[in-house]
Amino acid sequence: MMMKSGDRGTSLCSQVHRTRHYWFCWTPSAPQTLPSITSNRLHTKTPDAFLPQQYYPLLATNILCMLEKTCQALRDGQDCSLGFVAQLLGKVCMQGYSSFIFETLVPRLSSLTRTDPLWQRVIQKLLEKIPERCMESVITGLIFNLRGAAAVSRLMGNLVVTNKKAQFVLTYKLVLQQYQHPTRLLKSLLGYLALNAERRPLLKQVLQSVCQVWCNSSAIKHTCVEQQLYVSKALLLCVALLNLSEIEELREEMLQCMLGGVQCRLDSNIERIRRMGMVVGECLSHRLDMPGSQLKFKYEPDEEIIELKSLMESIPTKDSEESEPEHQSDDTSRLQPESETSLTQSVTSQSGRDSDSELDSDDDLTPYDMSADQEKKKSAPPRYVRDCLEALMSSNDAERVELSLQAAEGLLRKNVKATQEVSVQFCKVLLHLDDRYNTEGFQVLRQNAMVALTVTDTKPVVEYLTTEFYSLNYSLRQRLDVLEVLALSAQELSEPITNKHTGAQPIAAVAARDQSDDITHWRQIVETRIQSKTRRISKSATQMVKAVPNRYASVAGSFIFPLLRNYDRSQVTFDLLGTDHLVLGRLLHTLGLLMHLAVNAPVASQMGRALLDFVWAVRFHTDQMVRRGVMFAVCAVFLSMPSDTLLTDLSDDLMETRAWLADVAENDCDTDCRSLAVQGLILLDKNLTTQLQLPDVET
Amino acid sequence: MARPPPNPLYILRGSGDVVNTLHFCCDGQGPSLLYSGSGSGAIHVWNLTTRRPERVLESHSGNSVIWLQALKESSTLISQGRDMRMCVWDLSEGRGAVTDALFTGSVGFCQCSLLETQPGSTLLAHPTEHMEEVSVVEMKSWTQVCTLKPDLKLGMLMCMKMWQAESGPVLCAGYEDGSVILYDVSHRRLFSCLKAHTEPVMCLDVDVCRQKGVSGSSDNILQSWTIDDQRNLQMHGSVQLTNPGVSSARVRADGKILATAGWDNNVRVFGWKKLKPLAVLQHHTDMVNSVAFSDHQDPPQRLLAAASKDQRITVWSIYSES
Repeated sequence: MMMKSGDRGTSLCSQVHRTRHYWFCWTPSAPQTLPSITSNRLHTKTPDAFLPQQYYPLLATNILCMLEKTCQALRDGQDCSLGFVAQLLGKVCMQGYSSFIFETLVPRLSSLTRTDPLWQRVIQKLLEKIPERCMESVITGLIFNLRGAAAVSRLMGNLVVTNKKAQFVLTYKLVLQQYQHPTRLLKSLLGYLALNAERRPLLKQVLQSVCQVWCNSSAIKHTCVEQQLYVSKALLLCVALLNLSEIEELREEMLQCMLGGVQCRLDSNIERIRRMGMVVGECLSHRLDMPGSQLKFKYEPDEEIIELKSLMESIPTKDSEESEPEHQSDDTSRLQPESETSLTQSVTSQSGRDSDSELDSDDDLTPYDMSADQEKKKSAPPRYVRDCLEALMSSNDAERVELSLQAAEGLLRKNVKATQEVSVQFCKVLLHLDDRYNTEGFQVLRQNAMVALTVTDTKPVVEYLTTEFYSLNYSLRQRLDVLEVLALSAQELSEPITNKHTGAQPIAAVAARDQSDDITHWRQIVETRIQSKTRRISKSATQMVKAVPNRYASVAGSFIFPLLRNYDRSQVTFDLLGTDHLVLGRLLHTLGLLMHLAVNAPVASQMGRALLDFVWAVRFHTDQMVRRGVMFAVCAVFLSMPSDTLLTDLSDDLMETRAWLADVAENDCDTDCRSLAVQGLILLDKNLTTQLQLPDVET
Repeated sequence: MARPPPNPLYILRGSGDVVNTLHFCCDGQGPSLLYSGSGSGAIHVWNLTTRRPERVLESHSGNSVIWLQALKESSTLISQGRDMRMCVWDLSEGRGAVTDALFTGSVGFCQCSLLETQPGSTLLAHPTEHMEEVSVVEMKSWTQVCTLKPDLKLGMLMCMKMWQAESGPVLCAGYEDGSVILYDVSHRRLFSCLKAHTEPVMCLDVDVCRQKGVSGSSDNILQSWTIDDQRNLQMHGSVQLTNPGVSSARVRADGKILATAGWDNNVRVFGWKKLKPLAVLQHHTDMVNSVAFSDHQDPPQRLLAAASKDQRITVWSIYSES
């Protein structure tokens, strides 16, 4: 026990004695804390051998030697005690150096224990002796560095059954309380629990606790997305590891969990959570139900979903995965020459066939351009705005409705006067239009037409849309469409360069000739006069951007203020603050965007004030997307409101606002909310510092 | 960048009614002529040099003319009308009179087919009052050579073409159920049958030298088939058209291109070897009833004419360099 460690300690001590004249006391805790002690004394002049990156691997190799000698001694019949090593290992891991130690230890131990059962017993005994308070860090570090459930099983044995602390860490803490670990750790852990009959009850216990967490609706609302992903992975892995009899036992519970959990998740505003719910529901149903009645959802697969689905496949528990990397390279190298030869063969045969066919074709007759050849349609697209409106309103002919919808945007933008006459009516028709004939691109066409309407005849259409947003008997989809159209048209109105629509120039009304001549004429005269009088020293490299009046500034108020009016009035079909939190979240995002686009408008300060009042009322909403919207709107206000008015308006609420933002930045469970709150704080502080700076007094 | 399709060389107006059928007569002495038959029974003889109708013959008691053919080396014109009659006209030396007529009894739209075996003897295949039957007569004496009828119920006879093979005259007919049948006229029996389309066969044409034919129907597939040495019809290739409906198909005499008249107002030109789409000639404003290739001996003068329901005849020059 002491002899080996003593030898090691004195060699190290002598090293120190040689380099420095400091004496230090030999204590039992010296080996594990040696790097910190030397760095504390020697500061920047610490020799490399005492840095953690080098010291701890050295310690690990020494531990290994010692364990080998222990094994040898045991074979010879001697008794050995591993208490000191266990304490040493525990203390090192508790300080946080587990990765250095285990990176060296674990591969060797893994290969040794594969062949020799004596090694297995030695390691298991060692792990049993680790002190309680260090158990968590040791086990976490060990599993993190091990590859495969079989290796964990060899090294840890039935530690999870015998040791209470280990059981707590493995079945509860690693699965439900922490979520930063990679997927392979979960795979090793759960595979380890599944391998032995004594440990399988624990696997079932883990499954039950994970199920309960997964279907808990408040957990979905208050935990962040990453943790929910981790728990979903754990659930899928557990289910994949169960055999049929165990599934039958736990069937009721799993079914209840699946139904409840999927329902809660589908109600969420965040798409990632919805997709997770769908994938897990499908996988569970696949295992539980008969092939005819399995749950099937429709979603776009992405990397996360593919990873989740792959967890359901059976996990190899043999050592095959360790030897896989070496074999894989052989296989791929063998496959490559074969595939190359087959590729070349197919290429030559194809080129042979191509040359044959080319000789046959009449290459002396070149085809003409046939792009004008199209399928003949029975009806022609409308050429007037009123025709278009009439077709959309009352036609039963699918082709005519489709052609009208496709022609709508172009017609509306080109014929400004005609559009202005029928704008509100057209908007009403489009808002109530449904996709009766499964037209391709229906949503996009309808949205573009509505944006064209709003941009061409802004005031009446915006008034109509904002009133309709709060009216009775609209579906959620229609209300969201209203918000999207408002946002898109505000974006278009605030763009300074209108090069997108230069193709469809509005047909200008025929103006009296002398009038137009005067206006353009004097501008030209003044321009030429200025040009002739200025002396250019150097030619400017960039083109001067022509100034265009901001079309959005004059109407910005009519976009925002009506939307803020009736939010707390709950109606039969629309409860903004209650169940329809999806619309509330989108409304907040839209308001933030509208605020941001009004950055140089004269009405920006009033808008900002009104928006902050509105946001103040909903800032503690339970839904994550609503809170994200709140943060976004607050940041938009800080960005676009002129900073002097910001200070005067917020002066009484300033401390409260700062405190609230700081609280969200620290304590909110959603990462996006936190980062947005931090940005809001930074913007607010920047404004404050610029405003509160005392101006330089000129003497 | 493919070049844009050509415009018509000229347009012949003045037909006064829908133009149903066309026939070129350009290799004799005298000016190049184009015969057209209209829906009001008028046969216009267009002079292609002056581009004016030289003569207008009123025929078939005002009933629509559905087929015209001129005999070579004699100014004789044969017309088929919807008054159930076939008329033989003598147009030599400025005359325009009906010299002979045959009552066919056919109320359908199937066009006849003429075969000049020797300058003296001509065979004419025409539809009869029985919908599926073809009657082959010898023209001088109007004696019936044979009648041909399919054994199975194939529906109405839609279109036919007769030509001379080594063993004797051969007739190819298309029927209402989409089948194409090859008959041996001299022995009055069927050579082979091919289900080329699912819809009625509207038109067909055969390139006798290459023993290959094409058929168009009311669907959007243009089907080509070959006739092998045992006189069996076999599917060869097909091409899908943009819009369904082909009223007439013609293969040019040099076997390079094929023209189809479409119900979608377009004339489509394909390569004959592989049915490769070559051009879409758009001009007409109503469906095209008939296409015809001119029989000029000089290749650069070759023309393609299209007759349409909008009462115009367009004349094009396409792929005419040799």
